[in-house]
Amino acid sequence: MAATDDRLEPVVSMRAISKSFGHVQALRNVDLDLYRGEVVALVGDNGAGKSTLVKVLAGVHAPDAGTITFRGRIVSIPSPAASRELGIATVFQDLALCDNLDVVANLFLGHELGRGSLDEETMEQRSWELLRRLSARIPSVRMPVATLSGGQRQTVAIARSLIGDPTVVILDEPTAALGVAQTAEVLNLIELLRDQGHCVVLISHNMADVQAVADRVIVLRLGRVNGRFRAPELSYEDIIASITGVLNLEEGTPEDDPRERLPDGPARPLRSPGGSTPAGDAEGGAR
Amino acid sequence: MSKFSDGMRTLTGGRGLSQYSMIIALVAIILVFEIWTGGYTLDPTNVINMVQQYSYILILAIGMVMLIIAGHIDLSVGSVAAFVGIVVAQSMAVWHLPAGLAMLLGLVVGALVGAWQGFWVAYVRVPAFIVTLAGQLIFRGANQVVGNSTAVPTPDSYNWIGNGFLPDFGPDFGYSNPTLILGLVVIAALIWKEVHDRRKRVRMGASPQPVWVSVVRLVLLCGITIFATFLFATGRVGTSFPIVGIIAGVLILVYSFVTSSTVFGRHIYAVGGNASAAVLSGVKSRGVNFLLMMNMSILAAVAGMVFVGNAQASGPFDGTGWELDAIAAVFVGGAAIFGGVGTVAGSIIGAFVMAFLANGLSLLGLDASWVSIIRGLVLLAAVAFDVYNKTQGRPSIIGLLLGGFRRKKPNITEEAIQAQPQGLEKPSGDQVDKVPLS
Repeated sequence: MAATDDRLEPVVSMRAISKSFGHVQALRNVDLDLYRGEVVALVGDNGAGKSTLVKVLAGVHAPDAGTITFRGRIVSIPSPAASRELGIATVFQDLALCDNLDVVANLFLGHELGRGSLDEETMEQRSWELLRRLSARIPSVRMPVATLSGGQRQTVAIARSLIGDPTVVILDEPTAALGVAQTAEVLNLIELLRDQGHCVVLISHNMADVQAVADRVIVLRLGRVNGRFRAPELSYEDIIASITGVLNLEEGTPEDDPRERLPDGPARPLRSPGGSTPAGDAEGGAR
Repeated sequence: MSKFSDGMRTLTGGRGLSQYSMIIALVAIILVFEIWTGGYTLDPTNVINMVQQYSYILILAIGMVMLIIAGHIDLSVGSVAAFVGIVVAQSMAVWHLPAGLAMLLGLVVGALVGAWQGFWVAYVRVPAFIVTLAGQLIFRGANQVVGNSTAVPTPDSYNWIGNGFLPDFGPDFGYSNPTLILGLVVIAALIWKEVHDRRKRVRMGASPQPVWVSVVRLVLLCGITIFATFLFATGRVGTSFPIVGIIAGVLILVYSFVTSSTVFGRHIYAVGGNASAAVLSGVKSRGVNFLLMMNMSILAAVAGMVFVGNAQASGPFDGTGWELDAIAAVFVGGAAIFGGVGTVAGSIIGAFVMAFLANGLSLLGLDASWVSIIRGLVLLAAVAFDVYNKTQGRPSIIGLLLGGFRRKKPNITEEAIQAQPQGLEKPSGDQVDKVPLS
């Protein structure tokens, strides 16, 4: 069963990652496994190490110690470009878009099509296809990004990360500074990405958003993993307790054990009970 | 909305007449001076003189706008031009290099100077303002070292790039034949481009603009071309379209294409718009910065050589104040001081505005010091108008100019919005929030 293997085998597994900046120990011995078709939320207080962990994956920081395995191969990620080549796309908070360029130019920035002169036609068509796939409502792909609303900008930023069909999509605070409707739009988009088989890593301070979409929640505290939770059993109080350090669930939590994740075999929906379509065998097999 | 303003919007790409405000200002300046000087401004001799005298602003403005889009600036262009000019003049006077080789040497020296400045800007990350301020001192000094602080005359075989004309040939109609041919070529190119753009829009599935829009635009552009052809073709006997005009024209075409339709051009805008986003997207910003600095110095070398050719000698005080001419042209032409916005075409219009002002005022017999004061005020007014427009929530002229000169214009209509897939949760009344370009 290729599909089962695909979902049982972690795409990325980080082992004993440590990173320090001068005297500040940002990450200590962090383990993290990421699987296809799931949303993993990284939560924690300011300075807990969420962003550092993500930047290690994105190739912005090199870890001081530890190994990263991507699809069973030990890799080093020295640069953002290397990270993208592996299939890890990162949407950084606030750093994502060039306001002066239009939507098409932003989507293809750094990956422009066409030799010599730009192939604007193909890029425009692909942009429409991509945005349709994400059910995005953008009036024109030729508008400068500066004229879009916050939710639309975030949609464009996420859409851009999907060019090159990455396996892992990392979103750093995608709903910060968004209104209610726009947040809902982005959360829908996250579920859509999961249903299409991407692994989504979500950094957020907003527990409501996390509870709405996350299949797993990893709590970081002072550079350590301080708790791991799985979707149906998510409890707001436990997560808060774990973030603040009242509760420490790190020891003996089996969340990263693949057999634990799929106790009933491949038929078990990966989504929370409240979700709609199970990302089942057929979809996985078709990929 | 009346039928007329509706049509006007279609003609101008859905934005109304205001997008051409800088062109309208240019036309107004030309007309006012034409009346004040009693028809002398648009006299063929004056226009030809202007092209030869001010072409250096055009050439410098091209490189400067690209640098300013990327968020840099170059204060050394005048000194670099003077340095290259004296090297070229000395190479012909002392080493007796043929003119062609001397020009090649000039380009190489320009490239080396550019590589030097680009290295400090791109790799050591010293701000371009400082690097080129240093360059201004260094190369002004170098000019005087190489030329012993004297003027070095240049031979006629070289001077044609500055004061030469297209050679005349064929039967005598009372007009300059090569200029007429050039005019016809330009008209043919304009028509071809319009047809090509319409086809492209059809291929992309966008509805082409009504035929009359294309026709009106073509008639306007061809009318200007015919008028210019007539001007250049009816000058004094022995004159026609100046060689420097050809050089500037080719450079404008090439760099317009580079900035609007190539990956490199796209990356210039990206680096200027949001450098960290560009780098994270895989844009090699160091390479972009390096090439831009190098390109600027090469263009400064071209400007310097052309100027020396026109003056028939290279002197120790050539090129003083050129950086300010070029920078003023770029900002009048709608570039943003913080980078990311601007076009080659806009800067060329800015250069024309500055050149016609200087020329018209001196034709009126105004003192050079007053010409300087008025040009300064115009620069201030143009940028202030743009800033005011932006704070009023209207898109800046900059943005309008930018949109106006891009090949494809966004066509935001109700149908375009309706045609979009509807988000599940999104209330249908939620329209696009308009925020001012900043």
